[in-house]
Amino acid sequence: MIQGVVVMNDQGKPRLVKFYDYQPVERQQELIRSIYGVLCNRAENVSNFIRADSIFGPDTRLVYKTYATLYFVFIFDSSENELAMLDLMQVFVETLDKCFSNVCEVDIVFNFNKVHTILDEIVLGGQVLETSSSEVMKAVEEISKLEKASNSISLVPKSIPGWQTR
Amino acid sequence: MALSGMRGLSVFISDVRNCPNKEQERLRVDKELGNIRTRFKNEKGLTPYEKKKYVWKMLYIYMLGYDVDFGHMEAVSLISAPKYPEKQVGYIVTSSLLNENHDFLRLAINTVRNDIIGRNETFQCLALTLVGNIGGREFAESLAPDVQKLLISSSCRPLVRKKAALCLLRLYRKNPDVVNVDGWSDRMAQLLDERDLGVLTSSMSLLVALVANNHDAYWSCLPKCVKALERLARNQDIPQEYTYYGIPSPWLQVKTMRALQYFPTIEDPNTRRSLFEVLQRILMGTDVVKNVNKNNASHAVLFEALALVMHLDAEKEIMSQCVALLGKFIAVREPNIRYLGLENMTRMLMVTDVQDIIKRHQAQIITSLKDPDISIRRRALDLLYGMCDVSNTKDIVEELLQYLSTADFAMREELSLKAAILAEKFAPDLSWYVDVILQLIDKAGDFVSDDIWFRVVQFVTNNEDLQPYAAVKAREYLDKPAIHETMVKVSAYILGEYSHLLARRPGCSPKEIFSIIHEKLPTVSTSTIPILLSTYAKILMHTQPSDPELQNQIWAIFRKYESCIDAEIQQRAVEYFALSSKGAALMDIMAEMPKFPERQSALIKKAEDTETDTAEQSALKLRAQQQTSNALVVTDQRPANGTPPVSELGLVKVPSMSNVDHSSADHGVTQANGTLTVVDPQPPEPSADLLGDLLGPLAIEGPPGSAVQSERNLVPGTEGVPNADDALAIAPVGEQTNTVQPIGNIAERFQALCLKDSGVLYEDPYIQIGIKADWRAHQGRLVLFLGNKNTSPLVSVQALILPPSHLKMELSLVPDTIPPRAQVQCPLEVINLRPSRDVGVLDFSYKFGTHVNVKLRLPAVLNKFLQPISVSAEEFFPQWRSISGPPLKLQEVVRGVRPMSVAEMANLFNSFRLIVCPGLDPNANNLVASTTFYSESTRAMLCLIRIETDPADRTQLRMTVASGEPTLTFELKEFIKEQLVSIPTVSRGPAPPLPQTQPTSAPAALSDPGAMLAGLLH
Repeated sequence: MIQGVVVMNDQGKPRLVKFYDYQPVERQQELIRSIYGVLCNRAENVSNFIRADSIFGPDTRLVYKTYATLYFVFIFDSSENELAMLDLMQVFVETLDKCFSNVCEVDIVFNFNKVHTILDEIVLGGQVLETSSSEVMKAVEEISKLEKASNSISLVPKSIPGWQTR
Repeated sequence: MALSGMRGLSVFISDVRNCPNKEQERLRVDKELGNIRTRFKNEKGLTPYEKKKYVWKMLYIYMLGYDVDFGHMEAVSLISAPKYPEKQVGYIVTSSLLNENHDFLRLAINTVRNDIIGRNETFQCLALTLVGNIGGREFAESLAPDVQKLLISSSCRPLVRKKAALCLLRLYRKNPDVVNVDGWSDRMAQLLDERDLGVLTSSMSLLVALVANNHDAYWSCLPKCVKALERLARNQDIPQEYTYYGIPSPWLQVKTMRALQYFPTIEDPNTRRSLFEVLQRILMGTDVVKNVNKNNASHAVLFEALALVMHLDAEKEIMSQCVALLGKFIAVREPNIRYLGLENMTRMLMVTDVQDIIKRHQAQIITSLKDPDISIRRRALDLLYGMCDVSNTKDIVEELLQYLSTADFAMREELSLKAAILAEKFAPDLSWYVDVILQLIDKAGDFVSDDIWFRVVQFVTNNEDLQPYAAVKAREYLDKPAIHETMVKVSAYILGEYSHLLARRPGCSPKEIFSIIHEKLPTVSTSTIPILLSTYAKILMHTQPSDPELQNQIWAIFRKYESCIDAEIQQRAVEYFALSSKGAALMDIMAEMPKFPERQSALIKKAEDTETDTAEQSALKLRAQQQTSNALVVTDQRPANGTPPVSELGLVKVPSMSNVDHSSADHGVTQANGTLTVVDPQPPEPSADLLGDLLGPLAIEGPPGSAVQSERNLVPGTEGVPNADDALAIAPVGEQTNTVQPIGNIAERFQALCLKDSGVLYEDPYIQIGIKADWRAHQGRLVLFLGNKNTSPLVSVQALILPPSHLKMELSLVPDTIPPRAQVQCPLEVINLRPSRDVGVLDFSYKFGTHVNVKLRLPAVLNKFLQPISVSAEEFFPQWRSISGPPLKLQEVVRGVRPMSVAEMANLFNSFRLIVCPGLDPNANNLVASTTFYSESTRAMLCLIRIETDPADRTQLRMTVASGEPTLTFELKEFIKEQLVSIPTVSRGPAPPLPQTQPTSAPAALSDPGAMLAGLLH
């Protein structure tokens, strides 16, 4: 089972936090800090795997991948295959990329609600829901249409004043 | 104004991002929370848009790590909004902010159910997602059947069905008792025929959960899984969108193979054959390519196939293929593959036949220990640890030691622990083991736990051949300029015990050893100083002939610490000073430590305890059981004095850690009169408490027999209690693993009860056992008072009497439970059949949290069956004369008597109901006493005793005992001797020297009145 999905930037700022077993907010922050503590010390060209026993408890693993300024992290137990988790992360990122055409940190910051929607189409209750990026896109587009029909959420353009400061 | 609704959110996010520091951020967030709170309070003016915006802000704030303790109601209420956008926000935010037990969720159940059974598929999807993420028991109770219906409905879109599958999985996983899956095996089998790979993936996950719980019910699904796998592996009918970098859905392949691993085996030969064909294709058809993602995907499938092959216990041929593949993987450039190669090789160790093939890759694995990636280094360490055995232990451990100097801090502790365990388990010889551990301490002292050096001390203590070597090594390390404190401890300890073995070597004279150790004293912490003090005392003891200069130096140190604030140091300083001033007595007390009982290594136990029971770990365990080295068996050498084997079985105990009332098991065995009971000695439980073993006895180190004695003598005020029995304290009835500490000294309580008839036999925080006895001739009636000191009951109370053969003991029924604060009385009837000094034992146990068991000697001792009788000279002499010599009259010269005046001795005798008849013996240095002994076989029997002391040497006397029965004479004589002798001349266990019965000779000169009396007395 996947226990959590965390996206954070290279400063350790959380950009997306989703745990599939409830964690109180303090514990969430503690986990994020511990993960960041491990990740920021990782060199380049090393494996994407870390045993997370000391962070999450026995039998937990973690895969992560860096995309530009962001760390994507999946936390899961031994019932999942490490490389398959890495593949799923790639599907998630590719879907974000399609959605935001060349996704960057700012897209995720300002559209974190949209990112939640996308993730919900890939992982449900800690299980792999959909592995086809195009199927996910279909579902997300459908949702966007519904939102637009009700005259509501749309993507926030990247030219929000002030985003360049970070 | 599509943007205006979201603009507030964007501005807020932007503001937060622009905060220069955490403080500013908090201010901005607090302001926003205040704003939201106010707006939520007067909900009237709130549009659905605004509500939605605020709820998103809440989620954002929550993600940043701020507690959002309000607004949950608003989030939940959005779920019932009629329009999609609000409803969607409600569902997403609710499932992120609330947990499954939140009260507000209950309010939403109806809405959620309506969305699930309604016709709107988008609403169905939202509802299923919420339930799949946070659905609890009540959701399972009211929604499971509806969700099941959706999953198998042919009219639903795949989008809905796959969510229904995972939603059901969540409900089942959380509450398997609520979700009814009876008859689901057929439905699952049907679901596995699904063409849509999205639905099939979810269904496969559901199957894994169901099979994991009860594989028997789902056998029919097994062939379907193999079919699905074939379809994927052969790329038949796989839509383009489910092909990931050219590989047909790697997740589904992986999940399917995972599901197959939950079936214990595959019986049907056809299914098995088809599966192995597929697996073979996967194993052989996967290459490392340039594209990282493609590589990851193909190897995800490959590693799962490897796991499945291992699970299926395939033929050796395919197994060797797997190992060969893994051997290739651990050398590739791609770090992920290297990592998994090592990890899977470790799992491979479980497969019995392949270890030798794995060993061929040892060099490469050792190289991986230097991989730039710590994750890989850890896997390499695990694998080396798992594959180590007697054949390669030297190579591996030395490699680990070498690596230790450069290893990351994060790994050093694990590394040193593993090296220590391997060295212990598989050491080819003992000196190598000592070398390894000392190197370990030298290189990574901070990471060497006490367990490790305790263990080395145990081995050295128990193996005489090793002692000189260890002492040499310890001496060498002391020459190094800056050594770790642990090294100071271990070398001081070893040199204290064994440096005299090196005496003739250069630089190893007592003085030199002392000064090099003493140099370290200013650098060590208070926990080490006591060890050093013990070492000094031992050096002093071993310095023969004594060296006054060294003695003064060491005494000065003891005196200096006599006022140390640390109680342990102070006590040792005081005691050692006092002891070392006693000269020869020091020899006994400071003698070498006895051998430690063999036990499971605390290290290995600790390692096993912390190991989770994953496949690879159990493999390691299995292997650990199979082939450990024989080198490190603690030798169990018989002492030369021929103690019977019973006491050899690890019964030698460290005195200061046992809270047992040691009943005299040895006693029974060693006696010569053949009427003995051996209290069944239980093999000692291996104790993991090395700390207790090593640090405990350091205070008083002596042969176990004398240790207790000396401890006793050191306690002021107890010197007067004669206690030869305690010399035997070292042969416990069985080691007890109680964690409950008794209150008071059990041995002292027993001693006191030997002299009086009521008192406390045993007490701990939970129970008090009192005793009241009434003795009439050869019968006794004891009452045990079992008092529960708690406010809750003591349960599983058991009292078992282990009577010696000469006593008939009957205990009335002891209740299983003692109510809170209650006292139960249990009468115990005793009949004395014949004379014997054996003691009955009360084996008492109860449960209060933990199981507590104590074995207590019962004060039904020989002197209880004595009745004082005062005899006049007229009665005494005819009796005395009528008993002519052995075996009825025995005489012995007793040495090592605790010095006391004749008056003190008279008091002592009277207290044992041996009534001193004053004036019978004209010599003031002699004592004459009489008593009546009662037993069934002897009836009432008069016993006469004469003691002749030597005023010039109070440590020896001549004792003559006479009675009408040989056993009685012998037993009584031994009994009295036990009361008189303080430190046994032989330290432990041997049979009391056979009575030195001297033929009584005729008086030399009858003319001398004194001699005449003496003659009469003989």
